Amino acid sequence: MSEPIIDVRDLHVVLGANPVLRGVDLTVRQGEIVAVAGENGTGKSTLLRCLAGLRPPTSGEVSVFGTPPSDDAAFWRAVALVAAEPAWYPGLTVHEHVELIRVTHEPVDDAWPDVAQVLERCGLTERADAVPLTLSTGQRQRLCLASALVRPSRLLLLDEPEHGLDTAFRTRLAGILTEYARSGGTVVMASHDPGLIEATGARHTVLSSGRLAAGATR
Amino acid sequence: MNALASARAIIRAPRAKRERTWQDRYTLAFAIAVLGAVAAEPLSRAWNRIVAPAATTDPATIGTGLALVVLAYAGLIALARLVGPITVSPADAAWLVPSPLTRRAVLRPAALRLLVASVVAGVVLGVTVLTVLGVPDLATLRVAGAVLVAVAACVGGAATAVLAQRGDPESDRLGVALAALAALAIVAGLAAASGAALPWRSLLTALPRVPASVIVGVAVAACLAATGLAVRTWRALSRFPSRAVIASSARVGQATDAIVTLEPGLLTWIAEDNHWRARRLRSRPWPHLPAPLALAWVEARRLGRRPTRLAALLAAAAFPALAAVATGGITPPVAVALLAGALTAAASATAGARRDIENPTLIRLAGVSRQAARAARAIPPALLAGAWLAAALAALGLVGPGVAAGASWWAFVPLCAPPIAVAALRMAGRGPIDHSLPVLDTPGGPVPLGPLFWGVTGIDVAVLGCAPALTALLLQPAQTAGFLTAQAVATVLTVGAFLLRARRT
Repeated sequence: MSEPIIDVRDLHVVLGANPVLRGVDLTVRQGEIVAVAGENGTGKSTLLRCLAGLRPPTSGEVSVFGTPPSDDAAFWRAVALVAAEPAWYPGLTVHEHVELIRVTHEPVDDAWPDVAQVLERCGLTERADAVPLTLSTGQRQRLCLASALVRPSRLLLLDEPEHGLDTAFRTRLAGILTEYARSGGTVVMASHDPGLIEATGARHTVLSSGRLAAGATR
Repeated sequence: MNALASARAIIRAPRAKRERTWQDRYTLAFAIAVLGAVAAEPLSRAWNRIVAPAATTDPATIGTGLALVVLAYAGLIALARLVGPITVSPADAAWLVPSPLTRRAVLRPAALRLLVASVVAGVVLGVTVLTVLGVPDLATLRVAGAVLVAVAACVGGAATAVLAQRGDPESDRLGVALAALAALAIVAGLAAASGAALPWRSLLTALPRVPASVIVGVAVAACLAATGLAVRTWRALSRFPSRAVIASSARVGQATDAIVTLEPGLLTWIAEDNHWRARRLRSRPWPHLPAPLALAWVEARRLGRRPTRLAALLAAAAFPALAAVATGGITPPVAVALLAGALTAAASATAGARRDIENPTLIRLAGVSRQAARAARAIPPALLAGAWLAAALAALGLVGPGVAAGASWWAFVPLCAPPIAVAALRMAGRGPIDHSLPVLDTPGGPVPLGPLFWGVTGIDVAVLGCAPALTALLLQPAQTAGFLTAQAVATVLTVGAFLLRARRT
């Protein structure tokens, strides 16, 4: 069996006086898709932020690619995070935003889809010349996903990727994520959409009151 | 009571329930009295200066002064256009505008507010014109004439702005006209300041002693034109498009929120987003540059799409020269104008950096190291600051020899540009105001430290980083070699500290 990409052991996070995560254990191997479900406020986003190195654990260990995640360029060259909506650069179009992310990762393997292909897969070709602020909520979420998919990465961290998306595109997104995992990438997503989780064939875990549900961990 | 009056009565009911106490009335009366006492002395001084015999008939002073008045007028109308000028509260925009109520009646308070503001602005501009021209004789007629013409110009300008608010093409045309007026004023002001032998010199010298018949004629014509425009505007209010009012009200509502919450940085975001939301763009290929420079190219792409902003920055490079003429040489206001202008130019190329500092999601997706990104992002503001300083220096050279003339002054340009770029990036990264900081009691009154620190963040680095150049500018030494060396050291220290801090954060 391959080495784990993500290894979380006895993770505790306390925000203020509130324990958010209480002894979470999670192992994710290469090529896996792991979906973390659970009610609002159970710590899904906090768990993803810990995996991204954006939230230091109160106690416990988090390891991504064998080392603690660090918020630096080397880490972000391997990891793509789609969480809160970014601050779009003023005066740049949809196409230019996606292309900017692409050129900062050049040279990119020819097997990786180019800007036009990613925009087409995300249903944004017709809005390529639009300013992101003029897009609908769902279209802006597609743009976030396109920005993550246009660049090479080994791990995708997605916080509610279905946010604002229509049913048809959720099905398409499931296909995109499955293909990403088949080509060697790893996906960890927090999601409220059972349909998306099922369509991706993800390993389903449930966070409840800061703990992963029994049987959902390693 | 008609429908609109009923609606307004309901809206005002919560406020009407609270009766004014005697303390409220006393506070209001006391505030008016204090304001009057404070304003009386400068107003009396200004009046004495106006009615004193004309001290100068120098065409350069008159030309420069009038150019600045025209610039101020163009700025006021541009501000009115930015605000709306017809705007209502966000609640009225949501409830009263899209309703069967008579549109003109709903918009009447806004129109009256605009009229009052225009009259006040006109009086101020008229008095300013008189301070430039002086009042050698016919005091009552000249004061009344200048004020009437200025008020008519402001009312007419505001009415034109209201008419232009109805549609984008009209609004764009007004924008172009205001830009042309401002450019013309700057060119005329520079020409007057340079002392060039221009055909209108005799006209400028004759202006303070224009005959009574001309004053009356111009005032009557201006009032008639302004009245005509005001009547046309009043008639247009009955079919004023709701989308124009709703859009301007949303803008003003957002701006008010930013001011009320003391978050001025938010205003920049709102202005930028509103500008680009209304533009149609065409995607262009991204140049193949190293990753950090590709991020910095965001500024070039954005600025290239706002040529009017670049043109305005270039036109503003004339201000230090105009200030030099108005204040009689290289004075502290000229140095302030130079530093403020260069800092403004640099700050106009930091939008990408500002967005990434406040929300680093995209920079994480780009996977570029923060140190490299910060260093690359200093290049566009440094280039802009350098170009602006060079243009301002060239304009100062036009004003006449002895005012920052000589080749050695140009060496300060590339040395000052990097510290100014660092200062602009520091401004971009200052974030929201820290309102938790204490309020300092001073003899001049309480000073809130949060807004104070926020206000000086960035300016501090610009002043310290360019201190040798600013000192040389004010002292005008025969030899500048020592100051140049000191400036080079200040530049290296500022940029070094910036890069070191970028590595740590």
